[in-house]
Amino acid sequence: MTTVHAVPSPATAGFRPVAAVLSVALNVPGLDLPTLLAGAGRLAPDAALGTRGADPDPAGGPTVPTDPGAGPGGAGAPGDAADGPGWPAERAAELLGRKGLLAKEPATRFALCAVHRALGLPPKAPRRTGPADPRTAVVVSSNLGNVATVGDLAGRLRDGGPREVGPLEAPNASSNVIAGAIAIWFRFGGPNLTVCSGATAGLDAIWLAGLLLRVGRADRVVVVGVEPDDPQARALHAARRGATPGRPLRAGAACLLLGPPDPSERPLPPRDPADVAGREPALPDPTETPERPLALLGPVRDGTSFGGAPVDEARLGADHYGAAGVVHTALAVRLTAGTPAVAVRCGDPVDGVRETTVRAVPR
Amino acid sequence: MAATITASAVRTCFGDGPATWDALRRGECGVALLRRVDPRRVGVAHGYPIADDRPFGPGRWLADCVTEALAAAGVDPRRRRVVSLVGTGLRESAEVERAALAGAVDFPAERLHFGPAVAGAAPGVGPVVTLANACSAGGHALALAQDLVETGEADAVLVGGADGSSASMLAMIGRVAARPTGRVRPFDTDRTGVLLGDGAVVLVVEADRPGAGLARLLGTGLSCDAGHETAPDRHGILRAVHDAYRRADRRPEQVDLVLAHGTGTALNDETEAGVLAEVFAGCEPGPLVTALKGAVGHTSGGSALLSVAVAIEALRTGLVPPVVGLSRPTPEAAGLRLVRDRAVAAAPRVAQVDAFGFGGLNAVTLLETT
Repeated sequence: MTTVHAVPSPATAGFRPVAAVLSVALNVPGLDLPTLLAGAGRLAPDAALGTRGADPDPAGGPTVPTDPGAGPGGAGAPGDAADGPGWPAERAAELLGRKGLLAKEPATRFALCAVHRALGLPPKAPRRTGPADPRTAVVVSSNLGNVATVGDLAGRLRDGGPREVGPLEAPNASSNVIAGAIAIWFRFGGPNLTVCSGATAGLDAIWLAGLLLRVGRADRVVVVGVEPDDPQARALHAARRGATPGRPLRAGAACLLLGPPDPSERPLPPRDPADVAGREPALPDPTETPERPLALLGPVRDGTSFGGAPVDEARLGADHYGAAGVVHTALAVRLTAGTPAVAVRCGDPVDGVRETTVRAVPR
Repeated sequence: MAATITASAVRTCFGDGPATWDALRRGECGVALLRRVDPRRVGVAHGYPIADDRPFGPGRWLADCVTEALAAAGVDPRRRRVVSLVGTGLRESAEVERAALAGAVDFPAERLHFGPAVAGAAPGVGPVVTLANACSAGGHALALAQDLVETGEADAVLVGGADGSSASMLAMIGRVAARPTGRVRPFDTDRTGVLLGDGAVVLVVEADRPGAGLARLLGTGLSCDAGHETAPDRHGILRAVHDAYRRADRRPEQVDLVLAHGTGTALNDETEAGVLAEVFAGCEPGPLVTALKGAVGHTSGGSALLSVAVAIEALRTGLVPPVVGLSRPTPEAAGLRLVRDRAVAAAPRVAQVDAFGFGGLNAVTLLETT
């Protein structure tokens, strides 16, 4: 369960940002964020988000939003790809290109689509080549990303023995397959983490991303929250003691591109000559980084209680589970277009609660 | 900057930490027939199992280590800010397989991560974050733990690593092996591949207190190859090595001992031996090199921390256990000072620990005597 709500202005006093949000994107099939926000009575989001995303499908967008909270009229606006309806897994090749996608599970596809959108890349953009960028880290939060593959492999082994499985399936048997695939796809060579701590995983991932920035392990961090909704994932999600009845698992991904809160105050640590000798500069492509952050993130706190009326819960109508902290931070970034600060909380009664504050960038 | 490791607790096929150290010192091999899976179904017959076949073994072994390590460190999570980072390759994936075969989930799914196990053994602990970072997960957790105490975000970090084996991963290592593997033989010409070992390790990391604790944690370098999902990459590993030396403010000639990743696979051992030869080129005589997987198997998420725990014992006792299963080194490894046949007395002061994992994840740790 994740909640997002506006924080009164006094709560922003003493705000100490730990990261700047440089870009945001969602890839949640069936969720149309502009419609959702408009329907929630919020100020209509400004153009800060999604302006660098390309229209994924000139023919009218990959899906028709089916979110129960979505009102008529705002669905899948062409040109608003970074947070318009998400690409379903089976159509991910239309955004990402087909090469290398065949063996990828749905969760990996959602994640790659979200990163692709956050980077503002056009559909089927040429893949980055050359050496990996050692200063960009990847932190993924997901609990159920590969459980369908693991269960499927177990079934085939029981029925047919080892000849029923192939070595190309090996990456999917490891729980870090999504983060590894993102690093390889986009050539991100910095620290690579997969957080699977249950309902708090999304904000745990943001916490660790802030740590990587603070101690100089990375200049920017690609944070991705993602879950699938296959039968195996749904069964496990429902079998939690901390589950909320009536809130099913929703598939999809969100991506936050984070950087230091004030780059000018954080000189780059000295690089080892071996990192750069004979290679192209590893600094982010200036076209990939907006000049001004979209929002600032405060420290992630360990919540002490669980309760309160979740403002957007009914409207969202579903649970993003391990992705929730990232999905709703992305949503909160949109809300800062009309509100100075937005609180984000995720967790459940068993896994605990994490909170953070997303603040608009002072003008 | 540095941190202090104030306690260590271990579970392997040999038993607890003292039992494991005794077996390693004597050069024993813990290989045995697999206990919890049918070899005909996965195509692998051997492993390094813990004699505990109940469900959720990794979480139970981890919880035992948490209890032991907290007591040894004298840390009370109710009185200090203690968080926990747990590295794992497979989490409790064996239970996901069991549920899939049964068509029903008969356990609370929160138990797929290690929050409940750690919190149950460490009342008052803050966030428990499980990191699924493949075979270098423990090294990644250790890196972040040092960051947390150095920045003052935590007073102490319970750094864990735990893994058992899943049928799906066993089948994969069987499929990529050149021929059936009866034991792990790191850096040996006749190596055939890796086998999985059950295990859990917990280290307690606290702020730097020179002269105190078990060992000084100097630094851990991290990198991702971003190249291939399962094959190691020299450039990516070297980035982690250089990052470790820069963070630790040490030079290769200061290192006396290396605990290699040494999986006994064709690709890892060739790549790692080449990297070690390159890093220590010009160092005379160069560090002693040992590796644990011939004795305890590949303990996956726990393997980096197990190597750290054994490095601590080597630094404290001056004794370096041999590479079990090694009789004829490969050409790439021939120039390394591999410890063979029996433990040697060497009085090392600085040790390097390698850990590499699927996804191209590299973690290289440096530690030294207190």
